[in-house]
Amino acid sequence: MAIDRRRFLKNSALAAGAIAAPHVWIPGVREAGAASLVEGEPIKVGILFSLTGSLAVPEEDSALVMQYAIDEMNEAGGINGQPIEPIIIDAKSDFKVYSEKARELILRDKVISIFGCYTSASRKAILPIVMQQESLLFYPTCYEGAECTQNTVCTGPLANQHSKDLIPYMVEQFGPRVFFVGSNYVWPKESNKNAKIWLEEAGGELLGEEYVPLGSSEFGPVLNKIRAAKPDFIFSTVVGASDIAFHRQFKQAGFSADSMPIASLTTGEIETKAMGAEYGAGHFLSAPYFQALKNPTNEKFVEGFLSSKYGKNGTTHYNMEETYTSAYVFKGALEKAIAEHGVGDVTSRRVRDAAAGVKVSADVSPEGEIWIDENNFNTWLVPKIGQCQPDGSFKIVKEAPEHVAPDPYSIYPDIGVCTAEGLKTPDGNIRKDVI
Amino acid sequence: MDFTLASFVNALILGLSIGSIFLVAALGLTIIYGTAGVINMAHGEFIMLGAYASYTLQNYLGVPFFLCIPLSFVVVALIGLVIERLLIRYLYDRPLDTLLATWGVSLVLMQGVRLIFGSDPKYIQMPSFLSTNIAAGPISVSIFRVFIFLVGIGLVAAVWWLFYKTEFGIKLRAVTQNKEMAASFGINSGQVYALTFALGAGLAGIAGSLFGVLNIVLPTMGMGYVVEAFLIVVTGGGALLGSILASGVTGEAQSIFAYIFNDTFAQFLVFVLIVIFLRFRPQGLIATGGARR
Amino acid sequence: MEKNLYHNRLLQWLVYVVFFAALAVIPLVMDDAFLLNQLATYGVYGMLALSISLCWGFGGILNLGQGIAFGLGAYGMAMTMQMQTQDPEYSPIPPFMLNNGLDALPAIWEPFWNTGFGIALALIVPTVFYLIFGGLMFQARVAGPFFAIMTLAILSALATLFVDLQPYTNGVNGISPPAALDIGGFVIDPYMSTSYWVVFALLVLSTVAAKLLTQSRFGLIVQALHNDSERVRFLGYNVAIYETLVYAASGLIAAIAGCCFAFLTQYVSPAQFDVGFSISMVIWAAIGGRNSLLWAIIGAFLVQGAQSYVGDEFLNSWILILGFSFILIVRFLPGGLGGLAETLLGMVSRKRETQESLTVGAGEPETRGA
Repeated sequence: MAIDRRRFLKNSALAAGAIAAPHVWIPGVREAGAASLVEGEPIKVGILFSLTGSLAVPEEDSALVMQYAIDEMNEAGGINGQPIEPIIIDAKSDFKVYSEKARELILRDKVISIFGCYTSASRKAILPIVMQQESLLFYPTCYEGAECTQNTVCTGPLANQHSKDLIPYMVEQFGPRVFFVGSNYVWPKESNKNAKIWLEEAGGELLGEEYVPLGSSEFGPVLNKIRAAKPDFIFSTVVGASDIAFHRQFKQAGFSADSMPIASLTTGEIETKAMGAEYGAGHFLSAPYFQALKNPTNEKFVEGFLSSKYGKNGTTHYNMEETYTSAYVFKGALEKAIAEHGVGDVTSRRVRDAAAGVKVSADVSPEGEIWIDENNFNTWLVPKIGQCQPDGSFKIVKEAPEHVAPDPYSIYPDIGVCTAEGLKTPDGNIRKDVI
Repeated sequence: MDFTLASFVNALILGLSIGSIFLVAALGLTIIYGTAGVINMAHGEFIMLGAYASYTLQNYLGVPFFLCIPLSFVVVALIGLVIERLLIRYLYDRPLDTLLATWGVSLVLMQGVRLIFGSDPKYIQMPSFLSTNIAAGPISVSIFRVFIFLVGIGLVAAVWWLFYKTEFGIKLRAVTQNKEMAASFGINSGQVYALTFALGAGLAGIAGSLFGVLNIVLPTMGMGYVVEAFLIVVTGGGALLGSILASGVTGEAQSIFAYIFNDTFAQFLVFVLIVIFLRFRPQGLIATGGARR
Repeated sequence: MEKNLYHNRLLQWLVYVVFFAALAVIPLVMDDAFLLNQLATYGVYGMLALSISLCWGFGGILNLGQGIAFGLGAYGMAMTMQMQTQDPEYSPIPPFMLNNGLDALPAIWEPFWNTGFGIALALIVPTVFYLIFGGLMFQARVAGPFFAIMTLAILSALATLFVDLQPYTNGVNGISPPAALDIGGFVIDPYMSTSYWVVFALLVLSTVAAKLLTQSRFGLIVQALHNDSERVRFLGYNVAIYETLVYAASGLIAAIAGCCFAFLTQYVSPAQFDVGFSISMVIWAAIGGRNSLLWAIIGAFLVQGAQSYVGDEFLNSWILILGFSFILIVRFLPGGLGGLAETLLGMVSRKRETQESLTVGAGEPETRGA
């Protein structure tokens, strides 16, 4: 059975909500209700993170820092003189709740934008509704890329930015032989594909690549394989509770950070605090932000946040900071959209389009200046490498010399290039909503 | 990955360790199920409570780690006793309902702990000599894993002694075999069940204080153990010896499959093999003598 | 003869008609895309509770792994929808496969080019899976809690498998078909009343079919089996076949629910095989009343509705409330809310017919109701 191109196009068009022929015989058919702003009224945004359940550990912090950022902006007079009104939702670490609540935020509350999600799975769960209703999602964390939608802005590092400096640095410092360990899902595998490219450039040698089930706490078999392979260092994309178990069992198995450090993309301030600093000390992390960054903006951010009513968890970390900057990217984009179209004609999609090239300057962004790519709407940022100290804080040992460009399709040039209008495939077609 | 004798031996040793972790996790469940026929879905949360008990004792009262382990037993056993008196004792003749009620208990415990302690992970400190390894050439094993293994043996010995060498054990076995007849000999089966339930909960508490060090202390940490523990109990047939054998075999299988393939596939394979095994031997490895299904 | 009004067949059907009529009125008076979508999702949960009620309340088989059929059905539907947005010439394979190192469509995906065939597979695969698994288990006389644990094991194994087969399933991230389901030009847009009507029709259909099944001769034997399977066996019936069939029937309903869920949310992932979700299906049926198909559906509506609306008010205490109410219901009200209604109606009926003996129909869990 063949699917003709017309039908394909029709589906895409429907997906975009562009044409929706009313089914006359069915009562209650409605046009997609797009969100818009009214002069003087509060600007409604949705904050969709898990405050309970297994994802609460990183996500609760994101929800808190979002509220902190919004308070900060409101105290400074809001955006265009209008206050921002956050609608805070607990997604309960359940993809069904993500999906339902995203609908509620978009269809009922008519928020101009949603800030939310931590795992790619939850992002994928809400993207269909976000895309269909031409809404907007600010996704503030690192992810694998290979996605080209017209309704998202991402402020975390992509797989092609994340380990670019880390791998050559580790090879240079500790030797060429490396072992990859990751949680068994999409992001670690994609990150490792990128890491392999940097590894080859740096003249390193990959001894093995192992994935443990997500949430697993048994690292015995992997550690045995590492013992047999005798690498110079380990590159880890293990996430969440597993990551803590991994670091503990690593030390309990007699390995030492001095002779075989773990270079991680995830083990930040909250993880080392949870595992106990003695298990984290000596290992490395690549991230655009560390609590220990020495610059006035960060010092102000850390002090301000921790002393505010939202700072109860006692630490700041990269994921949180990426969420914080996403609020300011939104501010910049919204101001631009209002200037271009006037308040009454601002839509979610126009805010997203206006986000192209929006800069968050170094006196606002704790990680230093960042800006949004004009084509793929990911973020230009400076990855940094930190080494965990015996007290659990990080010491910055290397900073990329310049901003690294985000490229969601860096390892799949055959698939196409992400442009503002959609994925440009090698045959010249533009495909919308590629997820 | 190349096959070498050393790494295979390491895999075998690890299998024993994984088996002992399974056994420690499943021991309390075995006793509760084997004696009273109660499917305790809150078992994982009892493990979690054990970890939190250790954390609280260590962090707020400064109790040393080795003392936290037996104290966790006491704390969780008491909680178990309360739950048994308030709820479980009314449900002994409704096995499916105990399963559901204990699921409700697990929800309440998990959320209760979250409300009290917050959802961020906690940290139990242990003496530093435990957090290294013993090596003989290429063969290596972590001391903490040896420690868990020894605790496992100790617990099995203690339970065995309790079952077969004490008066309580005689009563317990009598009630297990025939509740009515035991009652006619003046054995208070309600009391026996209550103590058994508390014992099983306490054993889970010990497991928790160990797993909290091995992995992580979180309100949700128990969920990962409960299905595995059940499969051990069911594969073993509900008897003590059965659970020992079942955890040894599944531990080795998990380790060797992970050695040959990878961790994810090993997990899948073990699940499937257990289901196939139970298709042909639904009574489990060691069939208990009683009339239990 | 029982005189409890609750057991009056005519009255039962009347209640069904009233209930479904009320559901049918909603989209006529309501014009809220979100609410319709949400109610349609509840309809899916209702189907799941119905399937649990059929299997557990009626057939006596506690099934903690109903997510197996639900998930397989949802995957089948999501694969069908995904292939609808693909084009044999321009984009022959889903984007995620390219990232996973596949350059041709795997054979297992080929049938999903055809919408009808794909949907058929989404229903047949889980049903056949249930027939085989149930057949094997029941033949070996695995029953009661053991069977429940086995379903849990299979559920966990499937979740692991779907995660591990990342090139074919996109692993943990799951499949999000970017466009609505289109059956021969008829588009089931999840944000219009169309999708509500489709789910509603399927809910009515499966409820009526299940109800007729319980009232048939087949149903009578299954019911007998629930009360005393040994006796039925001695009467010469092949117990395993009856158990397998009722289990598979409930699987088919769950698979239908899975299909609906996929087109409503346009998303499917291994989280569909989550143990917690499968157990919450049992919770719905238990709170509503496992012995009654209709009450089980109501249970799903109530619990999920409360989760959506009460949950945010109390946020943290919600799970605590759910846990406690579940414990209380299991402890004091094994028949759930339906059981309560049965008891109350029984009291009313008895008052009206004072000559009736007090021993009849006082809400015993064994008596089968609506």
